[in-house]
Amino acid sequence: MTTYIIRRLIMMIPILFGISLISFAIMYAAPGKPAVMDLDPSISVEDREKQMEKLGLNDPPHIQYLNWMGNVLKGDFGTSFTKKQPVKDMILDRLPNTLILMVFSTILAVIIAIPFGVLSATKQYSKLDYGVTITSFLGLATPNFWLGLMLIMLFSVQLGWTPVGGVSTLGAEFSLLDRLHHLILPAIVLATADMAGLTRYTRSSMLEVINQDYIRTARSKGFPERTVIYKHGLRNGLIPIITIFGLMLPTFIGGSVIVESLFSWPGIGKLFIDATFERDYPVIMAITMFGALLTVIGNLIADILYAVLDPRIEY
Amino acid sequence: MFKQKSLLTTLALLLIFSLFLVACGGTTTDPTEEEKAPADQEEATGEPKKGGSIVLGSSGEPVLFNPLYHQDSASADVTDLVFAGLMQSNENLEMVPYIAEDFPEISEDGLELTYKIREGVLFHDGQELTADDVVFTYNIFKDEDYTGPRASSFVDLEKVEALNEYEVKFTLSEADASFPTLTTYGILPKHILGDVPVADLGEYREFNIENPVGAGPFKFVSFTTGQSLELEAFEEYFEGRPNLDKVTFRFASDSNALVLLMQTGDIDWMIAPPSEIATIETFNHARVSNTLALRYDYIAWNQLNPLFQDVKVRQALTHAIDRQEIVETIMEGNATVAHAPVSPLSWAYNDNVPKFEFDPERATQLLSEAGWEPGPDGILQKDGERFSFTILSNSGNVVRRDIGIIAQQYLGQVGIEVKAEQMEWGAFLDKINPPNYDFDAIVLAWGLALDPDPTAIWHSKEIEQGLNNISYRNDRVDEIADLNKTILDQTERAAALGEIWEILAQEQPYTFMYYPQQFISLNKDVQGFTHHPRVNMYKVNEWWLDRN
Repeated sequence: MTTYIIRRLIMMIPILFGISLISFAIMYAAPGKPAVMDLDPSISVEDREKQMEKLGLNDPPHIQYLNWMGNVLKGDFGTSFTKKQPVKDMILDRLPNTLILMVFSTILAVIIAIPFGVLSATKQYSKLDYGVTITSFLGLATPNFWLGLMLIMLFSVQLGWTPVGGVSTLGAEFSLLDRLHHLILPAIVLATADMAGLTRYTRSSMLEVINQDYIRTARSKGFPERTVIYKHGLRNGLIPIITIFGLMLPTFIGGSVIVESLFSWPGIGKLFIDATFERDYPVIMAITMFGALLTVIGNLIADILYAVLDPRIEY
Repeated sequence: MFKQKSLLTTLALLLIFSLFLVACGGTTTDPTEEEKAPADQEEATGEPKKGGSIVLGSSGEPVLFNPLYHQDSASADVTDLVFAGLMQSNENLEMVPYIAEDFPEISEDGLELTYKIREGVLFHDGQELTADDVVFTYNIFKDEDYTGPRASSFVDLEKVEALNEYEVKFTLSEADASFPTLTTYGILPKHILGDVPVADLGEYREFNIENPVGAGPFKFVSFTTGQSLELEAFEEYFEGRPNLDKVTFRFASDSNALVLLMQTGDIDWMIAPPSEIATIETFNHARVSNTLALRYDYIAWNQLNPLFQDVKVRQALTHAIDRQEIVETIMEGNATVAHAPVSPLSWAYNDNVPKFEFDPERATQLLSEAGWEPGPDGILQKDGERFSFTILSNSGNVVRRDIGIIAQQYLGQVGIEVKAEQMEWGAFLDKINPPNYDFDAIVLAWGLALDPDPTAIWHSKEIEQGLNNISYRNDRVDEIADLNKTILDQTERAAALGEIWEILAQEQPYTFMYYPQQFISLNKDVQGFTHHPRVNMYKVNEWWLDRN
């Protein structure tokens, strides 16, 4: 197992390197230049050129890449072109916000989705099953931004129960309640899609397990149905679900882009989208690499968990 | 089982309810409230009150708070409140003294400008602002290590020196009528930044981001990226302590988010997009102020394309498009048809220019004079070539998209085939800027500088690298442009510039579309607001709150 993990960790190096090369190439090939994104006639062309020169943007692409790589290996992700701040600080600034949102919405998704998925499987073709199925398909099909807007219109504007956006009340002292108050709507929106997917996965996974021989054996031995389902069934049924959690890790960034923008939530997703529109190369590269790292780590964790939960799997 | 059922029912009801809300969203005006509201605008009841705080909504996030280095308007909004310069522009766009006691004394040859500055102007740390600080600030522009975006504005500045504690002399190498508009930059404190090498000033975070110190009406308190920025009244501000105690900037993703925040009363001020005015006017606690913006919108015809090289063709294009219609429909009346590249707000505005009104018959006639005749498919042809091209604009801008589509329809009626396309902003700029110039026609706008110097956009020397991306060339325009800044008398200079506007209006390198209005939405509690066409937050120190 240990050698397996070490081998996987070593394999990450060429993968990440390849991703960085491809991302850089795509970013470079995309039209639009940083630092000249505005058309202010009072800033002269010479001054604009000087800025380009200073940012190293007049160097040939391979030199720019090597410079970037060299700095990254030293732990320096550069300075944002537009915000003039160290990229590392910017990401560390925003990361907690994204993490809070993700963790909260994932917990929300899990505590709702798994019980419903299990119920739906054990009572297959019941009214409840149909209800859960329809709701989860609705959840999957509802666009995040639409649902978000609806919730804002209802709870923030009409009822005035929740804030329109932001992470905390302006100028107020930190309070957990205030945080939760701001968190609730974005978390619900983000959880909806996850919830719907998880319910479906749980349902199908449980269905498969329930029809296995050992469940029938357990039943025939006279164990109560509850024990059969939750002790024998659920444990095995959850294995594929755990894997999905590992794979959900990279959506920490991607999944939050729309929700963070909608709720003016200053996290990584919003940072990424702003940087993309501004062609802020150092920020784009850093977040892309962060996402890539999460993806490979997520895959690794999924595989390890799989092995831990199912001792039949060997490496 | 019952519990789950009721949960489902609730969810379903919620969904239906939210659907219902969309269907009737935004029509919550209470008619009695509306009747009570004052007719609109400005100066309400009583004397200014001291105290209170307001929240300004901003969709852009500022970058740094150093007037010599920022190049985005969100940062400018903040530095305008924190710093003070020698001069400033008032709401009529005239230059008026600010820290300077009076207008500068200008020598006969126009090469020397002497400013006397007020005594007793204090920086936020209590130190007095003197001539040394002014000299220090303007020498940064001249320093070869200066990395900000304004170096070339000051190439004609030979030297700046302090005559005594309160007098500063600028010496120019060439007379420059626009120079006073360059003395509006906020003065930096020498006692704080004097020891920082100029090469490091742009990245000097301790000052630029964490603790900017100026002599403006508001003191910097804190900045939380992505969230908010706080300023507080500067007790010793030289024009008197501001009425408000505190000003907070709140950053939101976009103007939609801001409108929602306006609706819930979370912000007291925002720049309102014209498309949202109708919505904002339904909010009981908000009002809308408007004024002409210092800009114009246009369709540019790329003269590298042989289609647009004949002046008759360009005139015909303008004749064929009903701009009044565009103003009334797309802009909902919030604009005035433009005929020349100068704003009516400018002292250099000249109304006496050739005008090409909507006249499709005249357009057809001009096109036929230029040799374009209807082909077999109804599209105009000349030497076997069809009159067909693309109008490009940037995606996300609905107004420009619609202008492209309407132009397509109007030009279609005179036998010109037009495709209207949109492109992401960065890609769009890449296509239209040097060295690519890869477009036929574009819909765009120019925000104008305080000084009406037309060189940057219309001089032929700006073709290769500059903003003259349609490759417009006219010797007389070049000649006047070269000369205009040396004419110190404003009336004479206006006359010279007037000739340029006439030539450009006659030649129609652009179809000048309209001069738009700009809107600001405010909480009705906010009094003493003055709408400046160019400074977003103008004289905030005079605003006050009539709040119970």
